[in-house]
Amino acid sequence: MVVGELTEEADLLVIGGGPGGYVAAIRAAQLGRQVTLIERDSVGGICLNVGCIPSKALIRVADEVFQLRAAASRGVHVEGVTVDMAQVQQFKDQVVGRLTSGVRQLLKSYGVRVISAEARFIDSHQVRAVGEYETQKVQFKQAIIATGSRPRPLDGLTVDGQVVLGSTELLAIQRIPAHLVVIGAGYIGLELGTAFRKFGSAVTVVEWADHILPGQDPRLVRLVARKLTELGVAVHLKSRVSSAVVAEESATLSVAGPGGEITLHADAVLVTVGRQANTDHLDLEAAGVRLTADCFIDVDDRLRTANPDIAAIGDVTPGPMLAHKASYQGKIAAESLCGMASAVDVAAIPAVIFTDPEIATMGLTEDAARAAGYDVVVGRFPFAANGRALTLGAEPGETVVVADRITGQLLGIHVVGSHAAELLGEAALAVELGATLEDLALTIHAHPTLSESLMEAAEVALGRPIHVMLRGS
Amino acid sequence: MTQYEWTLPDVGEGIHEAEIVKWHVAPGDRVAAEQPIVEIQTDKATVEIPSPVAGQVDALLAAEGAVVRVGTPVIRFAVETGSGRTTSAATEAPVPPRETPLAAPPRSRVLATPAVRRLARELGVDIHQIQGSGEHGRVLADDVRTAAARPAAVADRPPSPEPRLQPADDGDVRVPLRGTRRTIAEHMVKAMYTAPHVTAMDEVEVSTLVAWREEMKAAARSRDVHLTYLPFIIKAAIGALKRFPYLNASLDDERQEIVLKSRYHIGIAVDDEEGLVVPVIRDADKKSLWELAEIIQDLSRRAHEHRLTREELTGSTFTITNFGSFGGLYATPIINYPEVAILGSGRIQKKAIVVDDDRVVVKPVMSVTLTFDHRVVDGGTAGRFLNQVMRYLQSPLDLFMEMN
Repeated sequence: MVVGELTEEADLLVIGGGPGGYVAAIRAAQLGRQVTLIERDSVGGICLNVGCIPSKALIRVADEVFQLRAAASRGVHVEGVTVDMAQVQQFKDQVVGRLTSGVRQLLKSYGVRVISAEARFIDSHQVRAVGEYETQKVQFKQAIIATGSRPRPLDGLTVDGQVVLGSTELLAIQRIPAHLVVIGAGYIGLELGTAFRKFGSAVTVVEWADHILPGQDPRLVRLVARKLTELGVAVHLKSRVSSAVVAEESATLSVAGPGGEITLHADAVLVTVGRQANTDHLDLEAAGVRLTADCFIDVDDRLRTANPDIAAIGDVTPGPMLAHKASYQGKIAAESLCGMASAVDVAAIPAVIFTDPEIATMGLTEDAARAAGYDVVVGRFPFAANGRALTLGAEPGETVVVADRITGQLLGIHVVGSHAAELLGEAALAVELGATLEDLALTIHAHPTLSESLMEAAEVALGRPIHVMLRGS
Repeated sequence: MTQYEWTLPDVGEGIHEAEIVKWHVAPGDRVAAEQPIVEIQTDKATVEIPSPVAGQVDALLAAEGAVVRVGTPVIRFAVETGSGRTTSAATEAPVPPRETPLAAPPRSRVLATPAVRRLARELGVDIHQIQGSGEHGRVLADDVRTAAARPAAVADRPPSPEPRLQPADDGDVRVPLRGTRRTIAEHMVKAMYTAPHVTAMDEVEVSTLVAWREEMKAAARSRDVHLTYLPFIIKAAIGALKRFPYLNASLDDERQEIVLKSRYHIGIAVDDEEGLVVPVIRDADKKSLWELAEIIQDLSRRAHEHRLTREELTGSTFTITNFGSFGGLYATPIINYPEVAILGSGRIQKKAIVVDDDRVVVKPVMSVTLTFDHRVVDGGTAGRFLNQVMRYLQSPLDLFMEMN
């Protein structure tokens, strides 16, 4: 029995083991640091455990179910497709398990000490790590804050885990809801709403803005909206939940919208109205770490906070809340704290949305490029003119390239369509390298692949496409 | 009306700069497209540049005689909106640039790959301050290295990350290789591993030179000039270079050609806390000894203040290093690549030497070295060159007699 707290020393302390924190820990270890990582749940964070990865596992299975049911149009007749949600969950858990144990292995191989606890700052160089069984102080030379974000709560609809669910709870659900109401038509709501529609739920989406996927280019969103209609997902825009009565196994929601008030009965309600940074339970003030007005941690381009021995990365810093942003920053922060001249310096952060069809964007949209003062040239190439898209039965789709007319430099590349996310790698590289339309057009793209649409869109912008007619020519 | 800046285009053939020889227009002049506006001279040719636009000359941004890097704005026009054209650093001169709309694109983000951006940070240079030599001003890795080698950049570089010196267990301190130091390291490695170095060494009796300098000291004081031996050494070197053009040359590896330089731009190695820098005296053959002394004084002062311009740090055709100034008698300097030779001068000290009639006399003696690229120059040529230099140093009257 130890009376009082133990104090442990850490050379470099990482708080939070998500896609930002564990990457930072590994990079710091590669640079010769002794790294301690404090994680309150499971390494891998939201992304691996209850976010990107499990949702993609479910979306993929849901899509399989949907494809099987639609296979008749291609000559495959499948009778009696049923979904065993418990087994689907097992598959998902397997995927998650493999990835998180992989991360644990990696951390171990780099000699990273993982403490299972929740950290709070005591002063500029100490945290208190409160675990399930013990509490200890950790004194650090340098630290990286990577505590991520959590779903923003909605007044009047408190997540109960039974009927009112957050994304975490819906991803773990063992049943297929009869009627799922999704509050918030952001990417999480639409990804999961679409997936459960494909599993067989009736799905209704309620969104306060006047279009789905607020913040995304409406031109890209068009195809997703069309598909939602096709799938029979009811979407109520400019609407909000005015009151809710939640019972043990169902909820009754009053939704006020442009057409007056409607009543929705649901056995599952998904609340996805945004996320907020986990900066409020860390006692950051004690550490001399400052926040921005909207409660993100204020960092410079080298990711240092107001306390130069503490860096912050990922969702707690300003900018989009994306796992790959956190991972990139994790590497930069580790290098920066180790004295390297690394700094955040990118043309853009790519983003993917796994709706049906998928949306993948890198860099400036047409409107944003114009607003920035560029003389813009745009090339759009429809998936319907791409052979591979047709063989996949995936004609709704479009690849858009946005470039500077004078230099031909690619400013943005956006794809909406099946497998759009997988096309984004080339797009990101092209924009980041400052490649031009000619570069993209003159690179041989293998046939038959969806990636040919990138080359073709560049040729549209250059006024010489092979597989589509130019309007007005 | 829109303003339109025309930047010095890349004329190809590896030329990165050109001299503004003569402006044919002045601010306020109206010009027609294709009308000759300026005569520029590169290492290889003199070219008339036609106006890329029709409009009015707003300002000349480079003076006659200025040596301008590719991509530097040299003239600004006021043009009727929609009637003009824009161009960029990449259009080939003297071909007039192609027709393009006039809106100036935003250029907040420098065009460079992520790897080049990282290199710039590692070398401690602000990538925004670098004039990219690539297409549309793209900053290339070599541009970054060149900029890092220019100490003038030190003053305007952003506060570089404090190197975290972590003492190892044995007490050794590991200092990151950064900035000028790293650039020097890279240049030295390149020079040493590209050019097979051979060094010839000799001694020269310099009593006349010492006497001349003594005699001129008072005059130097009245001119407020510090007269060293370096101007004499420069003149001696140039006299010899004129006789042995293969020493005033460079090897173009890519084209497999030896480029014999028509001009005599002499680099002088200056020691500085930040590391070695080599400012350049352009057309040193056309300067008097007084002028050379003044230029040397000015260049080395500004080298220490890190206020040398890029032009003053590039383009030398032959380099002289005075290792004698640190007391060195002999050294084997590394060639200032891609030049083919570097002349070293050592300390002058009194020595007993045997003169013609077998008497031993005490005379001031200077040690000299010539390190040369054996791919271009052989021992015979190098030896004859060094002998010529020594002849001039021993009897500066020869130098005087040959002056033009």
